[in-house]
Amino acid sequence: MPQYPAGTVRALLSTDLVTPATRAALEARLVSAAGYEPQFFDPATYALLEAVAARIFPQPDRETPIALTPAIDQRLLAGTADGWRYDAMPPDREAFRLGLGGINQAAQAQFQQVFTALDEARQDAVLEQLAAGNAAGENWQQLPQSRFFEDLLAELTEIYYAHPLAQEEIGYVGMADVPGWQRLGLNETEDREPTEVKL
Amino acid sequence: MPEEEVLEESVLNPVKPEIQDPLLQALLAESAALDAAPTEQELPDLLPNPVEEVDCVVIGTGAGGAPLLARLAMAGLKVVALEAGPRRNPARDYATDEKAQSFLFWNDERLSAGQSPVAFGKNNSGTGVGGSTLHYTAYTPRAHANDLTLHRDFGQGVDWPFGIEELEPYYEELEHFLGVSGPTPYPWNPSRRKGYPLAPLPLNGAAQLMQRACAQLGIQTSPAANAALSARYYQEGIGWREACTNRGFCQAGCNRGAKASMDVTFLPLAESYGAEIRADAFVTEIERDEQGRVTGVVYEQYGQTVRQRCRHLFLCAGAVETPRLLMLNELALSSGHVGKNFMAHPGMQVWGTFPEDIRPYKGIPGGLISEDTHRPKNADFAGGYLLQSIGVMPVTFATQMVRQRKLWGQALRDYMRSYNHMAGINILGDCLPHAANFLELAEEKDARGLPKPRLHFTAQENEQRMNRHAEKLMRQIWEAAGARDIWAFERYAHVIGTARMGLSGDDAVVNPEGRAFDVPNLYICDNSVFPSALSVNPALTIMALSLRTADKFLASLR
Repeated sequence: MPQYPAGTVRALLSTDLVTPATRAALEARLVSAAGYEPQFFDPATYALLEAVAARIFPQPDRETPIALTPAIDQRLLAGTADGWRYDAMPPDREAFRLGLGGINQAAQAQFQQVFTALDEARQDAVLEQLAAGNAAGENWQQLPQSRFFEDLLAELTEIYYAHPLAQEEIGYVGMADVPGWQRLGLNETEDREPTEVKL
Repeated sequence: MPEEEVLEESVLNPVKPEIQDPLLQALLAESAALDAAPTEQELPDLLPNPVEEVDCVVIGTGAGGAPLLARLAMAGLKVVALEAGPRRNPARDYATDEKAQSFLFWNDERLSAGQSPVAFGKNNSGTGVGGSTLHYTAYTPRAHANDLTLHRDFGQGVDWPFGIEELEPYYEELEHFLGVSGPTPYPWNPSRRKGYPLAPLPLNGAAQLMQRACAQLGIQTSPAANAALSARYYQEGIGWREACTNRGFCQAGCNRGAKASMDVTFLPLAESYGAEIRADAFVTEIERDEQGRVTGVVYEQYGQTVRQRCRHLFLCAGAVETPRLLMLNELALSSGHVGKNFMAHPGMQVWGTFPEDIRPYKGIPGGLISEDTHRPKNADFAGGYLLQSIGVMPVTFATQMVRQRKLWGQALRDYMRSYNHMAGINILGDCLPHAANFLELAEEKDARGLPKPRLHFTAQENEQRMNRHAEKLMRQIWEAAGARDIWAFERYAHVIGTARMGLSGDDAVVNPEGRAFDVPNLYICDNSVFPSALSVNPALTIMALSLRTADKFLASLR
């Protein structure tokens, strides 16, 4: 699979190929979230969410992983939405309460331990059950598990790929659009588009 | 949005984290002066005088409201438009960033029910001066004559109360006013009198792949008609608009004004003729007298409640908020059809991974079209669909991909590394009304204390057959183009039909001129009045109906 050189997006951000509004949005995400204190979740539930996020987006290649959970904590605190919700799902705060509780119930049923106490392989086994709609736990009687997993996966994915370092990883440089794009065709790239690294 | 607790302002201030990355520290220091986060409009000094009565109030400034607002203002009427969202400055406020542009979407929560729940927010609904046209892809194919006669031709759905000849002069006017770029001649519309005013936009990688494969399979293709400028264009009331730079961000906001959204076309024209546009004005009530005539509207603006009296009301709030306002105000309900006949276009996408370097972020997203599937010979369904190539930005692509494929963990990151090698095709297909598909008010309340809308949608036999036909064909095309790992995403977009137009108040909400059967001075003009969904993107037809509704109304005043 394609690999792109490191530093390309960060280098573009310092150029005038990027508009001020774009630079402001992307640089705000590059700020490290180390030491973030949850304001909506209690610490134990937040640690559980972090553990789940770390398996859905494993980042062994990064010294400092892209933080995915602060944005969820802040969104639930503010009570904002993205325009819709499956009618079969309860309001978002309730869905997270039931869903994260349900992940612990599934971990207990399968391995007799809470999710955060499991090793990575067992955590993945619990998430595989959830993704397949087979997780155990009484909370899932109130919450459709496949929809909860889908919504959680989609929200984490949106946060991850909105991050400049994740965009660097996949060779996306659409933010550097100030001069416009002239070379649009197949296998045509402009100088500011990174080329794949042969490993 | 949950409402179980109200939070104090002070709780909402997040902790500012420290910056650790030295490269980033340097970048931030350099650009501190350029910190240009989008800001809302400043508060006006004076609220409008509530005693004054205007000729017309128009609710909504999208494709349904903006063209008629201009028409009414040009006829010398005193008109006021109320827009729920803010007014923005695209050059300053529109980042080339998907998340930073989420303010363009109608983000108040809607509840999606049924077996094929429809996504809203960025999938469908806009807010702000310009409405959903701020983020439409600006695809502007015309409807075909037989799009309006599904019942005549197939015995299903309902026919429009007039023929295509009522829309054609408006299509022509719109293409020339907006500056549509497109091919001349257009292969699937021989009756067209005039060509497109501008040449087609260039084809990007996905469009070239689709073109190549369709040529092999004997499917005719053409560059699509798109309301983005392929060259500088002069427009009355606005001046020169600059050409598209192939920025690829059409599904969000254009920061250049090349895309013909209403904020850079009909709305400045309307304002140049004296129309007043009030942003951040959310209408909650429609007031009537004892005869049932509308006398005015009540709206919330900057925390205040304002009343605006009017002689005529044009409701152009889109096919969710329009029926919602009618239901909340128990208005125009005598037919029993408000909220019924909800249709959504089948918008199935097929994606594949290619050896070629494609870079899906460049160029107009929908570059290539085929309408050979408008009435396919071997079809087992009513109506038809069109095919479009698609470009896409990474966040949108990744989130819909995981909803479909449920990839997670290392497999998800590995798949997304090939983003630059991915291309898609999608359809835009007709949809039939069905009793199971409707909008209703839910028990659950929004932040204003108003019931949230709940939309039920289940793809019925006709939509399912069309999807199967289209998926098979799109897979063939991508196989011929050399794709591997081909997958399909079943989706539905556009909200249509919840206050439909017809000949009788027994089964329609408005008459062929857009006037409510049971309220003499209420007009509805947006995608909610479409009697059928059409096999083409709706925006151009919404605008054509808007101009027609204005002309019929003006004629009735004479």
